[in-house]
Amino acid sequence: MAAVPQTLEPVKLGSGYNTPWWASALKWGLIAAALALAAYVVQRLVANGSWLGVVITAFILLCILAVYATRRAIPMKYLLPGLILLVSLQIWPIVYTVATAFTNYGQGHTLSKQEAIDINVANSVKEVEGSERFKLSIAVPEGGDVATADLAFLLTKPDGSTYVGTKKGLEPLPADGVEKTDTGKITKAPGYTILNAREANKRSADLKAFAVPVSDTAGIKSVGISAAFQGAPTLKYDAAADTMTDTSVTPNVVYSPKNAYFTAPDGKTLATGWKENVGTKNFKTLLTNETIRAGFLKIFLWNVAFAAISVLSTFLLGMLLALLFNDPKLKGKGFYRSLLILPYAIPGFVTALVWASMFNQEFGLVNTLTHLNVDWLGNAWAAKAAILITNLWLGFPYMFLVCTGALQSIPSDVKEAAKIDGAGPFRTLRSITMPLLLVAVGPLLIASFAFNFNNFSLIYLLTQGGPFQSGDTSIGSTDLLITYAFRLAFSGASPNIGLASAVCIFIFFIVALMSYSGFRRTAQLEEVN
Amino acid sequence: MHKRALGAAALTSAAALVLAGCGSSGSTTSSSASAGNTASASESASASESASASETAAPEEVDAKDPSRADADLVIWADANRAPILTTYAQQFADENGVTVAVQIAAETRKQFGDATKVGKGPDIVVGAHDWLGELVQNGTVAPIQLDDATAAKFAPAAVAASKFDGQNYGVPFSVENIALVRNTDMAPDAPATMDDLLKAAKAAKAKDPKISVLLDQPVGKTGNAYYTYPWLSAFGGGIFALKDNGDYDADKVIVNSPEAIKGAEQLAKMGKDKVLSTNVGDDNSEGIFTGGKAPFFITGPWSIPNIKKAGINYGISPLPSLTGGDAMQPFLGIQLFYVSSKAKNATLAQEFVTNYVPTKEFQLAMFEAGGRPPALTEAYEEVAAADPDVKAWYEAGKDGKPMPNIPAMNSVWGPLGQAAADVIAGKAEPKARFDAAQKEIVANIKKAS
Repeated sequence: MAAVPQTLEPVKLGSGYNTPWWASALKWGLIAAALALAAYVVQRLVANGSWLGVVITAFILLCILAVYATRRAIPMKYLLPGLILLVSLQIWPIVYTVATAFTNYGQGHTLSKQEAIDINVANSVKEVEGSERFKLSIAVPEGGDVATADLAFLLTKPDGSTYVGTKKGLEPLPADGVEKTDTGKITKAPGYTILNAREANKRSADLKAFAVPVSDTAGIKSVGISAAFQGAPTLKYDAAADTMTDTSVTPNVVYSPKNAYFTAPDGKTLATGWKENVGTKNFKTLLTNETIRAGFLKIFLWNVAFAAISVLSTFLLGMLLALLFNDPKLKGKGFYRSLLILPYAIPGFVTALVWASMFNQEFGLVNTLTHLNVDWLGNAWAAKAAILITNLWLGFPYMFLVCTGALQSIPSDVKEAAKIDGAGPFRTLRSITMPLLLVAVGPLLIASFAFNFNNFSLIYLLTQGGPFQSGDTSIGSTDLLITYAFRLAFSGASPNIGLASAVCIFIFFIVALMSYSGFRRTAQLEEVN
Repeated sequence: MHKRALGAAALTSAAALVLAGCGSSGSTTSSSASAGNTASASESASASESASASETAAPEEVDAKDPSRADADLVIWADANRAPILTTYAQQFADENGVTVAVQIAAETRKQFGDATKVGKGPDIVVGAHDWLGELVQNGTVAPIQLDDATAAKFAPAAVAASKFDGQNYGVPFSVENIALVRNTDMAPDAPATMDDLLKAAKAAKAKDPKISVLLDQPVGKTGNAYYTYPWLSAFGGGIFALKDNGDYDADKVIVNSPEAIKGAEQLAKMGKDKVLSTNVGDDNSEGIFTGGKAPFFITGPWSIPNIKKAGINYGISPLPSLTGGDAMQPFLGIQLFYVSSKAKNATLAQEFVTNYVPTKEFQLAMFEAGGRPPALTEAYEEVAAADPDVKAWYEAGKDGKPMPNIPAMNSVWGPLGQAAADVIAGKAEPKARFDAAQKEIVANIKKAS
């Protein structure tokens, strides 16, 4: 089959080769299912107004139809699922992270500028001082459609006098025919249809925009469905000058845009800022900031050491145990092996928390058993040791598993040949077993290195990056770049996700570079064999 | 044949992937705009039984990936403890007004609310702590609530102050919580008024019971804890931020190294030197130390009481003691609020619920049942306090406390201040120098952000 040129295949399939009916049925059934699913997804996306999503769904569906409904593109039949996964789970997050790194996205900078302007103005609405509260009934003129007709507020002052407020203004409402509850809320008024709670709620959007004008700036607005207050925004947006003016203080303060906030001349900002592109600012900050630069090298060295020692120690222990339990003379291997897997089976974060409490200087098991008084989590070097010990415990079962598998796949005849040639057990291990083992597990060691390089949860659960030295809580003794980036981004008054994205890009390149050189090495190893 | 079968198998996975592909494409613009299709099944998983026997539905859990809204006239998000009882009372509101109300459980309310609101899928009302307020306003996710003065006056003044940001009101409070001194009454029968009394009683207890290894059980930890550090500073009039004229905290005036605060830091150093406080006692083990009978005194909040009761410890709650040369230690107050989303689809009913229904005695009593924290409405508190001495004790301990700052700058304080306290307790640094350094770091962090 494999030797037949691809172009001939349809002909062959069409003439002499019968596809079983169930395979065809299954194929078309699945295609139909994909279609139905896509239709459903598109419907949801349209409802959400996510047009980009609609386009992407349609594109993926077209790809599926083109690849699976026809007899062309045989290789694509195998590749497409992987490609879709690759793009959606790998490429897309990377693109998104890179895009975010060029923005100021973060707390206080999540909205567009227009949204931020609207929110700032809306949040500045204050009750006019000395004004009275009204009892409110929301109504429309009689005969009008409750869902669309112009709104009218039927208002009762605390003294019992009644008014009607429309977008034109406030007028007295003659008491004739008006019925009120004990609290003063109007339940019936001639000429108006009063909305019930649900009808009023349906008009929330209209109510948000609606105010009965009572002066140049102030208006009567509803609070819920039974009260109204007289309020006015204290901020005013000047579109021409692109400034905000605070009218609640004299002289008025003018806020102009600066660093994606409306900022007063004295540096005070309005609470809500907006998201904008900041170009390479985040990268410049990383490269020029003194504290970041000073801390970076120290953290980087520990980061590399942590990842390297972790991989090495877990691998050595795992391999030694695997060699031991691979001995044909040993009885009850299955039992021992399953015991050794246990640390791997327990969720890592539970283990980390348990170890954290075991390392407690005063109450922890480690010091109690060893009669030491080491401040495991409070001393810079002891904390590093504590982390490496915990990671050894967490990591060796994996290496043990991998090595056991690899050892069992090494043919016994090469070992016998070595024995015949007069090699002792140690020599056999060094010259025969190890190289063959490394070919198998080499790439896994690199993967393990990359994983440990970014082992956020272990550090975070055990030491939070600490202990911290000499009044600087931004750089901890056990910080990895990733925990450092986390703190850098989130310890400020406003978490800055743009900056964190920039750090992640740096980390990505560092790991990529190291992994690349590592894979080059293993490739050489393979050639030797 | 072989290839065809494989092709079909590949198709199966491809079909499944359509979802995956689209799910993440939705996050192009936002966190989870389009993942709706994958999550609707899990949404119907009800989390806990409703207490009421009426037709009230049990609260549904909000799915983490797709916190989409229930289809109701008013949607409320609350934590798992409060949701069931809230459901009962929300149903009353619904019946009175002829509408439908859905209460949903949000496990990570703060984050889920922010993410969901951004994409217009958030609730109309959310229940949360007052110190979220700065962040919520910065991100424009909550709307002002125009509470009239008469209603506001019914609440504890600190609770009303905590609902405000930049002079605008954004929440309606329902409970106040704070830390106090909890003692094991078998070891220390009397509530100590001063720290000296406390230590004397603790040492006497230790002489009788060798199991006691911690004199005063307060969470410190290796990286410190600013929340528990603050009372020590407050005893001498120190604090974290100075107050503005209008009573708001002023992010531009950090006072962590004021002479008053340094006095508190010196006390911490002394407690560390005398082995009263230790960095080996932290969030992870402080409760176990007290419930295990290893400490006569425990500085903690109402959240520890269920476990203390479970351990069968006889306990008493009293205000934090006063320090030598200073006044009583004051805790931070944490206030629970009802917020209204700025993107609420049912803003009208949401405003009606929080302004007309939350500030009633009946409702506040119900929320007390669910949380066990002193109600924020004075009238409701008085009724509860008359019957429950614990509630009264918590309230008394927090009577003169100030709300925890709700300004975003507080984010910059937790790490540096906590670590400074830990270093001083561990004897690693002199109080004055260490708190000077913390001050410098906090100010720099705040500047970095703006």
